[in-house]
Amino acid sequence: MSSRPANRSRRPLRPRVLALGLLSVALLVWVVLFYRGGGGEKIRHPEEPAPAAKPSSAVRTPAQTRTVTLYFVSETDSLLHPEGRDIPASGALSEEVSSVLAELVKGSRQDLVAPLPPETKVRQVFVTADGVAYVDFSREIMEAFAYGSSSELAAVYAVVDTLTANFPPIKKVAILIEGLEKETLGGHVDLSRPLPPDASLIAK
Amino acid sequence: MLSRQSRPYRLLLPAALLFAASVLSARAAAPVLRIQVRDGADGARLTIASTVPLSFSYDAQPSLLTVTFQTRTSFRILREPFQSRFIRSLGWSRGSESLTMAVSTAIEPYIYVDNLKPDPFELTIDIRPGRPGTPSGAAAPSAASVTPAAGASGAGAVPSPAVGTVTAPVSTAPAAAGAGSIAPTAPGTAAPAAAPLSEGGAGRRTRKIVLDPGHGGLEVGAKGSFGTMEKDVTLAICRKLKTALEKGLSSQVSLTREGDEDVPLDKRAAVANNIKADLFISVHTNGSRRKLAQGSETFFMSLTATDEETRKLAYLENEASRLKGTIADESRDDIQLILWDMAQTAFIKQSGGLAEIIQAELNDLLGTKDRGVKQAPFKVLTGVACPAVLVEVAFISNPDEEKRLTDEKFQDTVVAAVYRGLVKFLKVQG
Repeated sequence: MSSRPANRSRRPLRPRVLALGLLSVALLVWVVLFYRGGGGEKIRHPEEPAPAAKPSSAVRTPAQTRTVTLYFVSETDSLLHPEGRDIPASGALSEEVSSVLAELVKGSRQDLVAPLPPETKVRQVFVTADGVAYVDFSREIMEAFAYGSSSELAAVYAVVDTLTANFPPIKKVAILIEGLEKETLGGHVDLSRPLPPDASLIAK
Repeated sequence: MLSRQSRPYRLLLPAALLFAASVLSARAAAPVLRIQVRDGADGARLTIASTVPLSFSYDAQPSLLTVTFQTRTSFRILREPFQSRFIRSLGWSRGSESLTMAVSTAIEPYIYVDNLKPDPFELTIDIRPGRPGTPSGAAAPSAASVTPAAGASGAGAVPSPAVGTVTAPVSTAPAAAGAGSIAPTAPGTAAPAAAPLSEGGAGRRTRKIVLDPGHGGLEVGAKGSFGTMEKDVTLAICRKLKTALEKGLSSQVSLTREGDEDVPLDKRAAVANNIKADLFISVHTNGSRRKLAQGSETFFMSLTATDEETRKLAYLENEASRLKGTIADESRDDIQLILWDMAQTAFIKQSGGLAEIIQAELNDLLGTKDRGVKQAPFKVLTGVACPAVLVEVAFISNPDEEKRLTDEKFQDTVVAAVYRGLVKFLKVQG
């Protein structure tokens, strides 16, 4: 008696179970493919515009700019001091990072010292999904200055601290030169891996 | 994998199941290395169980014990989470011919005693506080005198021909990098080799000090407005310091460069590690974009890099089954980096102490502005497996200080300050 309803319900279920099984396996395969594929090209330009933030900022600043903080070296101490700047708000992270870095290279509008050689070009920027900004500079960043520890720390951390301060998705910054990983700019700060910000270099 | 999707509908399920099964079984088939750490009353017991026999060798540094297994097999490493009062952390790295375990100890000095059951392979290493009874130390670890528990480890480590410590130095990067690991000359010798600074009889043993004159060759370093080059000043100071240390401390002093030559930064660290140096002092003159910048400061390595490596290790562990022993050269470089960093991490505290002492002496003697002790991820300091600091004597970019830096008397005072700092540090350590 009790087996009959069970049998009845089992039989019509079989194709459904099979279909469900197939579906889940297909899903699994798709998920695996997705992650494998993603793993191979982790470095992506997150070009998609930030959704909710844009309209509100557009309301505040009709010219589509955003105010950022740049860090320059002061004449009085060796610390990094903030200076505000408006950059075009394109919504694309890598574009905005490039604009910020270009402003940093241009130097201070007050009398702070530019930490990077003015000839330096920003060649390319990309930000990985796990928050590492790869910033590729032209060779002038290495060649135009003879770095000491102080100026090298200032150059590296002006970049690192400026980017991490202005772009929350960026947790660390890796500096490349002419597309390649370089050991150091001038024999001091290790560039062979992404650097987290160092707040101790920023003036209080 | 794409082809699987294009197969007929009916075949999809079995094919996918087969695929899943094969992935799972491939994982299951890999030999397993099971690691366990248990604290006892007076020490921790590290148990390494393997499904296949292994040969291994030790390299003991202050607060870092590395065990290198000579194997081409790609293991699955199962590590039970642990909390220990004696062992701070465990790290793993793989080379194509070896697997290295780095044990960072929470105690220093420590002694270790190993015991091996051959079948199935189970290696236990007991780590507990204590001074290795090393009379004359690191240079030539002889089996008899060095091993405090020679009976236990000597007899235990090589019970069968299948398991023996490989004596030939294996050409694996990690082994070479792991704080200059050298396979012991006698099989199964547990050689608590260099525990230099924690040994008794301070001052009597010959200290090995490596001085690193910053920059060199084409890489001139910072430049002064009168044309003084950093590389020349740093070499002059290091030569004087060498003479002083050899005379006064009867230390064995090596320079990372003898003349005006290019020496890559990692080679400089290697100079120290190859001779198992006790101390590493890099001498630089500072440069700033600000002409007014002045003063002296002492750096030691910052810790930020280490978190990164811990994550990298975790990543490598996860990836290991995929890598299957065919590790690309670049990954091996990574592994090398990890081990070097772990080595330096073990010395960070001491490096900080050394930096404080040297900076205080500079302040006392030089009359330069005190810029203090700082931490920075300096390339030359990563990978040095001993206390290591970088001294920025003064600013060559500042015309006043540039003049002083070229002055013999000023250089002598710098030498005196660093010398005094080292004497004090060694006293504290001893």
